[in-house]
Amino acid sequence: MHPNSDFMHRCELVDLTRVAQGCFRLKLYAPALTGAEPGQFVHLRAGSSTDPLLRRPFSIHYVDQKAGEIWLLIRVVGPATSALSRLRPGAELDLLGPLGNTFPAREEAAAAMLVAGGIGLAPLYFLARRRLEAGLAFDLLLGGAEGSSLPGDAFFDCAGLKPMLATEDGSRGFKGTVVDLLKQRLESGEKPSRIHACGPVPMLARVVDLGKIYAVPVHISLESLMACAVGACLGCVFPFKINGMLEYRRVCRDGPVFNGEEAHFNFV
Amino acid sequence: MSDSCLSATIAGITMANPLVAASGCYGYGFDYRHCIDPACWGAIVVKGTTLHPRLGNPPPRLVETPSGLLNAIGLQNPGIAYFLKYIRVRLPELGCPVLVNIAGETLDEYRRLAALLNGVDEVAGLEVNISCPNVKKGGISFGCDPALVYELVCRVREAYRGPLIVKLSLEAGNIVSVAEAATRAGADALSLINTIKGMVIDVQKRRPVLGNSTGGLSGPALRPLAVRAVWEVSQAVSVPVIGMGGIMQAEDALQFILAGSAAVAIGTANFVNPAVPKEICDGLKRYLADNGFTHYRELIGLARPGS
Repeated sequence: MHPNSDFMHRCELVDLTRVAQGCFRLKLYAPALTGAEPGQFVHLRAGSSTDPLLRRPFSIHYVDQKAGEIWLLIRVVGPATSALSRLRPGAELDLLGPLGNTFPAREEAAAAMLVAGGIGLAPLYFLARRRLEAGLAFDLLLGGAEGSSLPGDAFFDCAGLKPMLATEDGSRGFKGTVVDLLKQRLESGEKPSRIHACGPVPMLARVVDLGKIYAVPVHISLESLMACAVGACLGCVFPFKINGMLEYRRVCRDGPVFNGEEAHFNFV
Repeated sequence: MSDSCLSATIAGITMANPLVAASGCYGYGFDYRHCIDPACWGAIVVKGTTLHPRLGNPPPRLVETPSGLLNAIGLQNPGIAYFLKYIRVRLPELGCPVLVNIAGETLDEYRRLAALLNGVDEVAGLEVNISCPNVKKGGISFGCDPALVYELVCRVREAYRGPLIVKLSLEAGNIVSVAEAATRAGADALSLINTIKGMVIDVQKRRPVLGNSTGGLSGPALRPLAVRAVWEVSQAVSVPVIGMGGIMQAEDALQFILAGSAAVAIGTANFVNPAVPKEICDGLKRYLADNGFTHYRELIGLARPGS
């Protein structure tokens, strides 16, 4: 840990495993970060050169308190994530965190629905395991373009999770998008207490629409390129409509979890 | 080396060291407190403040470029009234001098902002932003014309008695003429350079990446241009220059000081390494000790011929 700082850490990479096509799970030894809650993120430096220059934000994928570890789930999309995917155990990573707010932790009798699109699984896996550990009911819905882009069954089995999968090519689970699957579940009369969603913005917009139709509150976890990640630079904002007025809110500091009804998707 | 080897006085503002947190990168000084004590700065320049609240530009507002960052925030801020009512009173908690960066859409807005901040004890001075590349009115449109800069700085000078710094852009092809105009009009110091307007195109969408289409380039990619600008301006004017542009480490800060900067400002590097002010101070002290200097001011402009 960095001297005189609660938020700056140097952590050892304990394990790096490929869990799906282009998708890696990193386990970091970071006892100082094990107080993190589902929804929070870390701001990670992918190297020591100036290219890539900025840190990259990643949702905390799980906290293993016993092992003193935090886990990250990373999809390779560019040079920074590619460099991270090539690290070897023992490597030291420079990160800030835990940052951001959390999914609302209210205990609900009725089941919550956790709806993940692709790498949007990262924070919802953490939330799902926390609910499982607390004995709270939930369903985890996970969608991807094809079966190989999603982690295999063993990835979920060893955590005691039973996700409902949706793939657009129909190679695993429901044939269609995760939004189509959610719609089918809601149409069939299921009434979750709330929906927690994370994934691409167009997907989140459709989940929020369904939530409005079926009167289920939706919480969304947003992704954004960030510079500071502490609320200073105003670079990561997303549009919201609050009392009819457009407002830009910081994904890093005001979020990343927001009330979906307030998000101004039409503006994007 | 003791801390006193870095003490600085810029535009009459006494600073513990010559490092300044650059406007727009440090909010109002409070956001990084969990990472580092804001008192480690020589001074902090807060987010560009306007007469009326500003929503800012539509996202995306950031895109990374090779060793650089394009931003198009668009001066999102709650306005001067909010600043004076809610933020001003908290500034002493930061433990270092705080300057307010002001940006207007008209000459009169700059004058009114300066008048509202005149005599405000918690504010150590003003940085007049005539170089923002991300707003349609004001900003850089004022900063390129020496006659207009003279007029603008005269009006701010009449309205504000405290330390006055003018922030310049390299977009003005004649940065030295603009610097001379600002100085003639009564600027106590100059800060340079602001970001330079750039663009990135998304070839899949066949559209500019940024919501504002263009943005201001910062980071190491900008550094050689900024060092050159400091070199030229600091030889042409007698007021101190606060140099900035891609400073990531002590060696970069030294380049600016040797080129003629009396102080240096740090922006983008904070995003990468929040401990950067402390690390640069330590690095400057080491350089002084290793090279037989007793105070950093002995280094200012030392790279110039004949120094």
